[in-house]
Amino acid sequence: MVQRSYPPDPDPVVEAFKKDIDRTLIRENLKLSVEERFRQAMALARFADEMRRAGREARARKS
Amino acid sequence: MIEFDGLLAALSAHEVAFIVVGGAAAIAHGSVRLTQDLDIVYDRSAANLDRLVAALASYKPYLRGVPEGLPFRWDRETLARGLNFTLITSLGAIDLLGEISGGGGYNDLLPEAIELQVFQARCLCLSLDQLIRTKRACGRPKDLEAVAELEAIREEQA
Repeated sequence: MVQRSYPPDPDPVVEAFKKDIDRTLIRENLKLSVEERFRQAMALARFADEMRRAGREARARKS
Repeated sequence: MIEFDGLLAALSAHEVAFIVVGGAAAIAHGSVRLTQDLDIVYDRSAANLDRLVAALASYKPYLRGVPEGLPFRWDRETLARGLNFTLITSLGAIDLLGEISGGGGYNDLLPEAIELQVFQARCLCLSLDQLIRTKRACGRPKDLEAVAELEAIREEQA
């Protein structure tokens, strides 16, 4: 039988990704309430939608 | 666009038994990563399927990514015949999951889930440790990238 420990041993892939995490953003986010985090995520999603729309329009104008 | 507030309020108002998982759960714990949908694990009891149908009915749920015009009935029978549903609604995309890798179904996740008070509603959400376990179990590169951030959040909170 395979014994699995928790927390699991560090995964080299996860550890590699962890080096690129911007912890300053996390620290700022942890100061917010859960509701504020969701509102910020919705604002970010709206911004992403708007940027995608603008990108589509720019590509259409170019072609 | 995703309206977390509208979706969570609708589910809570109809007393749907569900647990927020995935990217939205990560946001609740402090993730800064962008997510485009709300993933929930829902209780598969018949009464809860009725509540889920009622909660989303007015938001025109339809299967995401299928050819337009494909017949789809939003009712308890449809939910009972399947397990996982990826839907688009007028409030945005929502994934209804009967179970998830590394976590199981609603009753398996329930003991460790945490309660969120958000948008004047109460809902359950995976704990940070549960979320890390389930993301690890999925094992795709994007999940491992999410695990890295979630572990960093845990380290920042220690």
